[in-house]
Amino acid sequence: MMADRVGLGWRGELAASILERLVAIDVLEVIAEDWTRAPREEQRALAALGRERPLLLHGVAMGLASCHRVDPRRLDDMARLVEVVRPELWSEHLAFVRAGGVEIGHLAAPPRTAASVDGTLENLRRAARVVGALPLLENIATLVDPPASTLDEPAWTRAIVAGSGSPMLLDLHNLYANAVNFGHDPMAMLRAMPLESVRLVHLSGGRWLTPHGVAPRLLDDHLNDVPDPVYGLLAALAARAQGELTVILERDGNYPAIGHLVAQLDRARRALAEGRARALGRAA
Amino acid sequence: MSAAVEAFLARLYTDAALREAFIASPGDVARREGFAGEEAAALESTDLVGLKLAAESYGRKRERRSRK
Repeated sequence: MMADRVGLGWRGELAASILERLVAIDVLEVIAEDWTRAPREEQRALAALGRERPLLLHGVAMGLASCHRVDPRRLDDMARLVEVVRPELWSEHLAFVRAGGVEIGHLAAPPRTAASVDGTLENLRRAARVVGALPLLENIATLVDPPASTLDEPAWTRAIVAGSGSPMLLDLHNLYANAVNFGHDPMAMLRAMPLESVRLVHLSGGRWLTPHGVAPRLLDDHLNDVPDPVYGLLAALAARAQGELTVILERDGNYPAIGHLVAQLDRARRALAEGRARALGRAA
Repeated sequence: MSAAVEAFLARLYTDAALREAFIASPGDVARREGFAGEEAAALESTDLVGLKLAAESYGRKRERRSRK
């Protein structure tokens, strides 16, 4: 029996509710940049929370997937936070967030090329040297198919995961959004990802944008509930994954009552159990 | 050359005037920015609807962050 875990992203707005329902939450994920410049006593309080539930640190602003060198100050910040908080692991996105002195302000998909694979691998080596461990790598959602790409997303992701040895954080809503936005079958895209490396999973929701005269596109906004097809992807992943999975529900606003979020955690547990049962059925 | 494309994309996402000019005439703007050959051709076939939606989304994120 796989000891899969299901948890929630820690947000200040949800703190009291999370502590009230901690029994329903196996693990907590914390946005690293919310804490890197926090006073040391607050970082120690976070470390204390880590004695209640396993803590995962999630970076959102490093910009590791780039031909440009990662900012060493950001690596130092992460290293100091890891030293104080002692998380179970840390993760970052396969994204660039700045280039040529310009801050984009969010996660952007770089051109998927051999050059960006090489740049990312170099940045990951730097990150591992400074922080002391490789991050888990998360696929991002994008509204624009990155121009000048020569590799598709699964092939580009596989090259980086294989080249770095980093485990993968597979965001299933990001995968779903990219598939539906660019005309791919979500299940086929899931199967093309390096599933043998997936240890951590993100679930979230989004909303449809309806630009004039063209097909709608799905924006991953973390403000809405997890849509049904994403639970289907989770069950399919659990049926294929070799190791134990940790699933994190992300919500960044438009917060519902905690019971509503806990119900989504329960649904994720059912999807995991369904996938594991399917795998056992195949093995029998 | 992906480094130059990344830097150009960062400007397209954040500079509305450059983006409008690019959407109106991607090939001309790409060549004016120094791209040639395969990269100019790739930029010329950029998904312009996606570019506009992505830039709007990044703009909203920057605005929210500046209000915090």
